[in-house]
Amino acid sequence: MADEQKLDDTDRFNLMLALTGLLIDGQEYTVDELVDHFKTSKKEIVKAVRMISYTDLAKSNQDGSYGVDYDELREGFVSIRNTFSQAVDEVPRLSSRQASALAAGLVYLGSLPGLVDNSEIEELQRILAVDDQSGKNKTVLIEIGPRDTGLIAIREAMAQGVSITCDYLNLKGETTIGRTIEPLRIDSQGEVIYLRAWCPVNNGVRSFRVDRMRNAKPTNQPISPEALNAEYDDEIYTANDSDTVVTLEVDPEAYSLIFDFKPLEEPESVDKTVRRFKINVGDVRNLGRVIARFGGAARVISPEIARQSVRDFALNALGERSSTTPKDAE
Amino acid sequence: MSSKADDDFALGKPERLFNLTCTLLYATEGLTKKAILQTVRGYDEEYKEGGNNATLERKFERDKESLREVGIRIEAEIPAHEDENNQVSVYKIKRESFSWPSNIKLTPKQLALLNLAAQAWAGGSLSVEASRGITKLRAIGVVGQSSDIIGISPKIHTYEPCFKDLEFAISESQVVNFDYRNPETGEVKTRTLQPWVLRQIAGQWLVLGFDEFRNEARNFMLRRIVSPVTPAKNGKEVTTFEVPSQDVIDSAIASLNDHAKQQEAVLAIAPNSEAWFRYELDLVANRKDNIHRLNYHDVHVLAEQLREYADQIEVLEPKKLAELVTAGFRRVVDLHG
Repeated sequence: MADEQKLDDTDRFNLMLALTGLLIDGQEYTVDELVDHFKTSKKEIVKAVRMISYTDLAKSNQDGSYGVDYDELREGFVSIRNTFSQAVDEVPRLSSRQASALAAGLVYLGSLPGLVDNSEIEELQRILAVDDQSGKNKTVLIEIGPRDTGLIAIREAMAQGVSITCDYLNLKGETTIGRTIEPLRIDSQGEVIYLRAWCPVNNGVRSFRVDRMRNAKPTNQPISPEALNAEYDDEIYTANDSDTVVTLEVDPEAYSLIFDFKPLEEPESVDKTVRRFKINVGDVRNLGRVIARFGGAARVISPEIARQSVRDFALNALGERSSTTPKDAE
Repeated sequence: MSSKADDDFALGKPERLFNLTCTLLYATEGLTKKAILQTVRGYDEEYKEGGNNATLERKFERDKESLREVGIRIEAEIPAHEDENNQVSVYKIKRESFSWPSNIKLTPKQLALLNLAAQAWAGGSLSVEASRGITKLRAIGVVGQSSDIIGISPKIHTYEPCFKDLEFAISESQVVNFDYRNPETGEVKTRTLQPWVLRQIAGQWLVLGFDEFRNEARNFMLRRIVSPVTPAKNGKEVTTFEVPSQDVIDSAIASLNDHAKQQEAVLAIAPNSEAWFRYELDLVANRKDNIHRLNYHDVHVLAEQLREYADQIEVLEPKKLAELVTAGFRRVVDLHG
């Protein structure tokens, strides 16, 4: 996450500039406020403030200093007094790459229905554009197709802290009508949006694809304490002891699989472009659709039962063998 | 600790860059390289009067590059009263290129949104750029209760190893070479491209640029690039190109998009199947047939999507799409035999 990124020299310098820009008008903040504001650690804030105070431009004929009260800093307060006749007293512009990355991120957010008011996104885009005076064109553009409107109802329910009902089509192709689930988090991964939700039937957190939902509606039933206290990690798929270890091989055209499945260890290079890695699979019978879609750019190496399942999927699609649809896939 | 003297103090790169920025921002007349190395903290102690300062000069060049990376441009000028003698170039940072327009403030809510926008890149190729950008923007933000936008974790995918190099080449206007696999024939050819912009369309990253071989604007799908992306060189120099105006780029995008609009596939979908649901045919009241029409950008990508639904979809048109779907399945059978 951006918040937890380790700072390098350039990041530290960047933080110094930003801090100076914020603090230059003389207002006092607590270290904790700055930690929260800049989403970095206390150590980095204190270090940056100290580094700012070391600025010494005497040799280039500029008298003055950035004064920092060290006693106050120890007690957790930060303010900077600036006694330069001229010094950095403004906020630096964004580089065009920085502006471009943020602008593309905003477009992505703007594409999620019900998440944010698009006028807010537009306002921020205008601000970013004002900043970009480099005359450079954008380096990154994102164009996203229509999104699932089911998301609006889900966001509504999340804002009110209530569960939703919906019809859901599972991977086996069965639709459950009027399923009640308690929404926890929306994981938007590229084009696919998942809802992490507490499922009272399974008594656990499950991932639901929003595009497989219909008729999502908020209920008036508040989210249960079990749901609120449920622990779940960032991975959409949680491994089980009963999982099968499957070895896959992919060409660049199917590298996305390396990110979709979390490989058990670092992928190894078979040659200049081909990568091989192992994954945990709950039910190998579900592999067919995942692998076959790549039309050969992804291969199952082992075990044989997984290879068989992919072959059967493709043969079935070609109309050359009867279907072996998994019976208990989720 | 109550004074500077007590600190375990070593002047590192961040402080040196900061001193350099402060100095050049306010040296309105500019400073010569010699004056910089003699006076700016971080260089001054290593400066040898009358000696060889080549190492220090290289350090200054690297620092200039680091500053440029974060959007601060040091400009070299020859003062009006000097002749064209590079020795006396002076360096400065133009204030108007450095500072934000004043009087823009960001609310905690706006900062939270920008933070989320930066997080969408988390772990991806632009995450460093995005998070440095947001750090700067926080300086114009109102400190206060952060209005968290809870319950959402967005993620923009950048799977392709070449993304970062292409993005860098675009920002530096560098011509690049890479090996590209033609999806039609499987043939791999080295391409030379003036990259303009990275675009994500329907989840696929493309690079749009001027193809020097074909002599026209072209899209390349990043996942079909099967080699590292390297800068094209003329001798030792990296070849750069003149970036066309945004209008030229926009019209290239528009014409490629128009092309996509003209490509239509006609599918017959098994009623009430998963594919039926996926293409939202269940949402159309009183449907009389099971025919679905859609536009597409890339026939190979569409074939891939359709293969997920195995026998639930029959491709009626175009013939090529039907053949691609089948050929892909055939290859899968052969490879898993």
